[in-house]
Amino acid sequence: MKFFEILGKIDRKIIFIILAVVVIIPLIKPFGLISKASSRAQSVFDAVDAIPAGKPLMISIDFDPASMPELYPMLTAILRHAFAKDVKVVVLGLWLTGMGLGEQALATVSQEYNKEYGKDYVFLGWKSGILPVVLGMGEDIKKAYPADNYGTPLESIPMMQSIKNYRDIPFFISLSAGSAGYETWIAYAQSRYGLKIGAGVTAVSAADAYPYLQTGQLTGLLGGMKGASEYEFLVKQKGYTNQFSPASQAMDAQSLGHLLILILIVLGNIGYFFTRHSSRKEQQ
Amino acid sequence: MQRTIPLALCLGFGIFMIIQFFIPHPVSNAAYDIVLKWIRLITIFALVLGVGSLSMHHTTKIRRKITGWQYSIVTIIGVIVTAVIGLVGGVGRGSGLQVIFQNIFIPVNATMFSILAFYMASAAYRAFRARTKEATILLIAAFIVMLGMVPIGSAISKRLPELAEWILTVPNTAAKRGIIFGLALGSIATSLKIILGIERGWLGGGRQ
Amino acid sequence: MHIFLITLMLVSQISPPSCVTSYDTPNDAGNSITIHWTLSTDPNIAGYKLFRTQQGQEPEFLSFLSPFEKQYLDENVKNKIPYTYQITAFKVVGNDTLDAGSAVSNIVTSSPQWFNTKRLNVLIGIVIFFTLILYFIMHARRGKKLFIRRIAGLDAVDEAVGRATEMGKPILYVPGLSSVSDIATIAAINILGEVAKKTAQYETTLLVPNRDPIVYTVAREVVKEAYTSVGRPDVYKADNIFFITDSQFAYAAAVDGIMVREKPATNFFLGMFWAESLILAETGANTGAIQIAGTDSIFQLPFFITACDYTLIGEELYAASAYLSREPLLLGSLVGQDYGKIVIVSIVILATILMMLSAKIPVLNILKLFNIG
Repeated sequence: MKFFEILGKIDRKIIFIILAVVVIIPLIKPFGLISKASSRAQSVFDAVDAIPAGKPLMISIDFDPASMPELYPMLTAILRHAFAKDVKVVVLGLWLTGMGLGEQALATVSQEYNKEYGKDYVFLGWKSGILPVVLGMGEDIKKAYPADNYGTPLESIPMMQSIKNYRDIPFFISLSAGSAGYETWIAYAQSRYGLKIGAGVTAVSAADAYPYLQTGQLTGLLGGMKGASEYEFLVKQKGYTNQFSPASQAMDAQSLGHLLILILIVLGNIGYFFTRHSSRKEQQ
Repeated sequence: MQRTIPLALCLGFGIFMIIQFFIPHPVSNAAYDIVLKWIRLITIFALVLGVGSLSMHHTTKIRRKITGWQYSIVTIIGVIVTAVIGLVGGVGRGSGLQVIFQNIFIPVNATMFSILAFYMASAAYRAFRARTKEATILLIAAFIVMLGMVPIGSAISKRLPELAEWILTVPNTAAKRGIIFGLALGSIATSLKIILGIERGWLGGGRQ
Repeated sequence: MHIFLITLMLVSQISPPSCVTSYDTPNDAGNSITIHWTLSTDPNIAGYKLFRTQQGQEPEFLSFLSPFEKQYLDENVKNKIPYTYQITAFKVVGNDTLDAGSAVSNIVTSSPQWFNTKRLNVLIGIVIFFTLILYFIMHARRGKKLFIRRIAGLDAVDEAVGRATEMGKPILYVPGLSSVSDIATIAAINILGEVAKKTAQYETTLLVPNRDPIVYTVAREVVKEAYTSVGRPDVYKADNIFFITDSQFAYAAAVDGIMVREKPATNFFLGMFWAESLILAETGANTGAIQIAGTDSIFQLPFFITACDYTLIGEELYAASAYLSREPLLLGSLVGQDYGKIVIVSIVILATILMMLSAKIPVLNILKLFNIG
């Protein structure tokens, strides 16, 4: 009986140590638990895949470093997909604090595919005023962004010569951690200019995006780190990259973490029931 | 007088902001912009008060050598050094403030955030006991959702992720929306009480 | 040859768009005109060109439009200046571009509006809700007794304060991490006043760490007034209400430190919280404190429910001030709120039934009446 009492009262320091070990091991030695892609992730992938070579994909970075673990792997996986297919990439954002992440991702991934700034990708950065930016790009991107993030006039950037407004953009992805985010793009860019939009969101807010999927306002959705790992899986499956997949590796750790918590809950309940049963017996 | 002026300001501005919501005219938008600017200004001045409180609190601890006073020295040094570096070196890329932000602030923040994983494990272990029928239903739902959200779940059964998603999108969303309805109405009622001066707790003290 | 010439003639013809109407864009701040037209019947047009003419001036090219667009919003106009518009369909035949212009639209001027008619439904909702609340406040003023159900978390406040007093340990009160413009923070400050009155009477130490500087100044005044109102200004200590930092996790770390060092007997977590909620609640649970939490953040409620002894869910937090003080005016507003909920639920059920029936009887589609969907 003492054993069952112990089961119900495991010291939390032991729980912390076991959890730390269980999470660290797959990060050092990944198991490769493959995330089969959901239909939502597949839709985003197919939409990017359908962009003809030489046409642009626009990505909006609407998150900050706090949501980096979930959304940054999505960004790098999408960039790898686009660059592998020779799709031009235009990156901008509604969150000032996310611009450093955008620059970092572009700098890292463009090198893997020998992509040149101005020819294959452009970083527009952040502009103050959300509505003027979102609505302005529907008429003329150069009016909303006269220059890129580094002050170079858009008119002198080769790849921007053929991109005037949303009509020249086959697909748009918003990676958002809150407001302003994909809902802003849907409300203004999609409803007014018919822009085709996909989204990547944190796991906690994925359920809030489902109504937009159902109405067709969103073409696909990547939800949390699982969504990121699904996209990485699809990109690798098609042979577009063989780079390290941070989200997939993290999913191994998350899977084991969840499993451990479930085991602890079961053990706790076993301990609870046996202790309750024995105390009732003693009372009788 | 001490309470009359704040109450009158609250009433006036409260009614103005309600009316402003319905008027798209540029006059209304300009007035709204002015109000927003004033809010930002007041917040900045309040920050001065906050820093003053922080300094007083920690210098008192140091002076009286209250337990943990050494950490108060660290706090005060941190505040002064960061402020000086920011004022002297600016906040642009490559500045000292950015170095502190990238190498101290972000990692420390991430560390605190990561504590959540451990606390969730210990909280779940301690609290998820099937004491009642409702607790048991909660437990089963938690099991399904936790397994369904990771690859192991789809390895166990293809139905598990679908069931997890159903739990999140149907009963979970329904309950959330019910709470949100109540919150929305509660906010409106509380706002109305504050605007009309019925609710005065925020002014300090009693309701005289 | 005949057929070739006829074909060439047909291909060279292009039908223009028709029924070009322009009007002042409604519900805006002015400087905007909306133009509608019926598409050209020619299926092979490449697109449209839009021209604007200010009275007394030459036509000005505005924009190229795709062949499927039927509407354009011109936001570069000046108020009270008359304009007309013309749409020209164009297509490329060989090396030539063929144009066919529509008739010129009506004369239109733009102006700002004083009422946004799209928000009429909101106005109706507000009027109904305000009427209900004010009615029940008047009702309560007349001395009618109003029933409010038990809220366990609020009933436990007395017990929690008493526990801290008996143990000789302080009470920790966290009024949330949001600013004073957040309703949850105001609700938390209201409860702080009531808790402060009790701690003043029992001379129990009350610690109030703050994340927002304005909330700090308000909390300080509220606690001071509460102590004065029960006749115990001598027990008030300004040092116990303090500002820590406005950084979220730094604040959480500091409060955790306070809990571990001071070991308060009772923790109150009331207000708006984000990811730090479980960090605070779990640390408090491990120090053995009794914990009463309340937030309107639906994402953080599960964490508080798991780690705290009592949790005020959503609007129970807003009701706390009325519940604790039992003031008739405040109780009246609570009842008004509940009747408001009944109205909303009834409308939702009725609208659902009508929408289901509208599949067969389209006129029942009432959502279109209220600018929804």
